[in-house]
Amino acid sequence: MSNFYHMPVLPKPDAKKVTINVDGADVEVPEGTNLVEALKTIGIDTPHFCYHQDLPVSGNCRQCMVETDGPRGMGLAIACYTPVRAGMKVATDRSSDKVKQARQAVMEFQLANHPLDCPICDKAGECSLQDNYMAAGRHESRMREDIGKLYKGSPEFRHEDAKGQERGGKHVDLGPTVILDQERCILCDRCVRFMRSVAGEEQLYINQRGDHAFLSTFPGMELKHDYDLNVTDICPVGALTGKHFRFRQRVWNLSKTETIDPFDSLGANITVEHNDGQAWRIMPRRNPEVNKSWISNRTRLEYQKLSKDRLTAGSFQKAEVPLAQAVARAGELVRGARKVAVVASGTLTLEDNAALQALVAGLDKKAELFSGSWAKVGSPDGIAQSGDPVGNRLGLKLLGISENLDELVARAKEFDVLLVAGHDLWALDAQKAKALEAIPERIVLSPWHDATTAKATLSVGVRAWAEVRGTMVNCQGRIQMLNAAPILPSPDLEPVWQVVSSIGKLGWTSELDAYKAAQAGIPALAGINYRGIGSQGRLLEGVVA
Amino acid sequence: MARIVPRTEMTLVEKAYIPEIARGLKVTMGHFLKGFFKPESIPVKHYPEVEPFVPRDYRSRHRLMKRPDGEPRCVACFMCATACPANCMTIEATSSDDDRIEKKPSKFEIDQLVCVFCGLCVEACPVDAIRMDTKKMAFAADKRETFKVGLEDLMDWDPKDYPESDIQSQKAPGGTLNAQARKEWGLQ
Ligand code: SF4
Ligand code: SF4
Ligand code: SF4
Ligand code: FES
Repeated sequence: MSNFYHMPVLPKPDAKKVTINVDGADVEVPEGTNLVEALKTIGIDTPHFCYHQDLPVSGNCRQCMVETDGPRGMGLAIACYTPVRAGMKVATDRSSDKVKQARQAVMEFQLANHPLDCPICDKAGECSLQDNYMAAGRHESRMREDIGKLYKGSPEFRHEDAKGQERGGKHVDLGPTVILDQERCILCDRCVRFMRSVAGEEQLYINQRGDHAFLSTFPGMELKHDYDLNVTDICPVGALTGKHFRFRQRVWNLSKTETIDPFDSLGANITVEHNDGQAWRIMPRRNPEVNKSWISNRTRLEYQKLSKDRLTAGSFQKAEVPLAQAVARAGELVRGARKVAVVASGTLTLEDNAALQALVAGLDKKAELFSGSWAKVGSPDGIAQSGDPVGNRLGLKLLGISENLDELVARAKEFDVLLVAGHDLWALDAQKAKALEAIPERIVLSPWHDATTAKATLSVGVRAWAEVRGTMVNCQGRIQMLNAAPILPSPDLEPVWQVVSSIGKLGWTSELDAYKAAQAGIPALAGINYRGIGSQGRLLEGVVA
Repeated sequence: MARIVPRTEMTLVEKAYIPEIARGLKVTMGHFLKGFFKPESIPVKHYPEVEPFVPRDYRSRHRLMKRPDGEPRCVACFMCATACPANCMTIEATSSDDDRIEKKPSKFEIDQLVCVFCGLCVEACPVDAIRMDTKKMAFAADKRETFKVGLEDLMDWDPKDYPESDIQSQKAPGGTLNAQARKEWGLQ
């Protein structure tokens, strides 16, 4: 038998409907889907562990039991692998005691040898085992404490704890990013399926059988993949934890801000999770058309840079100056210049770039707009990255900003002021950027101290991607929202469009002014406001063939 | 409907003012003379010269309980900080050096100026790691920062100040049950 299972059929908005009978009432559900999804469309949640929308269905945990009618009358079946059929009868725990008992029995088995780790378990608060126990568990225990537990784990990690109880594998190091707790694993094999079917590199497997079974990496292998941290999200329990977040925060203390990854032109949907003004982790946000439920490790660890090396003030002639003073000085320089070169950036939002465009337009013949990137463009990895590190490349194209950075290098001598925003030019190609040093006044707007601010004569700190509200257009032609998490390292920092508005005296007071300017330049945006973009983005008509 | 409270009219003597003043002074002077010549008869506590009686279950300053090896019992689960209505606890966790133990606090700070001494942290703790039975109820400092007590301060207590019946305290280093507890714990 093959180890490859079928992908679940998910309900599409335009799917044909069939009528089924749930708990005695006729309801319409999308055709072809499994019962977990079908019941979800009518507002019934089915507790489950092993089923995941973006993984092949393996049906091993048996938590999702419902009763369906078959040749021998009503009988238990797993909802995650039973497709809906016109006229079928379904009984959930709302009408069937048998379903309730079946779910309780499964829950009891799951918990019989599960450690009492919730207080020290990083999954607590978002754990399926906790949730399903509350929803479907047997709330009086039949366990006998004097007998103890038979903890799961490989023989090499067995040890005795301080109370003389034999324990299984705790904190097993799986590789560079992930730690496994074999005792907590409920053997749902989601992680195994992820590595097999999504990552495409089988590194994890379930060793042995029955109550000897435990999860491990294949002998001599470690868990190492650009996407391996996704297993910590899909693990329904706290068995797999990422080293970057382990023990840092309890999840119930985190607030979430929905945004996107600006450093890849697919724009993976993410949430930045933060408290007390600090970002603690990035989690994937499901978008079936963009990144499904996955993000790369690179995207996930992007939050770490948000609190490192931040440029929180201005700097003029190597001396730190207050932001307001730096912005005022930049305004004087730009307005008093003979010829200004402005460099727009594909890692900034449409709003920021519209502001740069308006600045150049306001300066008439005195200014010229350049753009482009020297960043290396890779190829799509087929999971959640397009390989192009310039997130808003298509947005810039729609705004009519051409990629002519090399032309600027060639003509550098014509200009006396350079304004660079959101571009670490000197880090990407110091050789080419060297020519720009011929421009006497170099103004750099950047969230970080970087190679480019080091070469600047005047630098101005701005907000980073997770701290701004705005829009980007991904490589599919989908406009997506970035939202501002309250994690500013300094309260005075402003987004790029606002700094540019001050420099050019544009008088813009909110990102909506900037968005309106972008709308004026992009016909496809007509009639689309922020609310219309929503959390899942919106495909722009006729942008990508 | 309005309720009318009848006033008592003043008598003639009361209206005369002077006799009432004299009556009041008599009470005052009586206490003064009694305190002057027989001070032991005044019902006061000689605080802070004489330590007052504080029951063990009075919610006083916190302490963190210790394992037999002197490490904190706390597993850095944040339950206390979650329960705290005043939001005065700051905990940072790290992995324990003892392989059998998963987590321990690397920072544990209580801001006693913010703490409302409700005792909810003690209730919330799943492992009896935090208690408020030190009987310390008055603490003074000249800086706000000094009111923030950390891991070291919270673990700075002596089993001798706690009764023999307090098994958890006696298992800590210096306690009467420490030797036995260390053996059970697998330490020499
Ligand atoms: S996985 Fe963690 S949070 Fe979930 S039940 Fe187990 S110990 Fe508790
Ligand atoms: S480690 Fe987690 S995802 Fe993997 S089999 Fe165990 S419970 Fe399932
Ligand atoms: S509840 Fe107890 S174990 Fe948990 S962090 Fe507080 S003191 Fe430590
Ligand atoms: S979710 Fe259906 S069997 Fe696991």
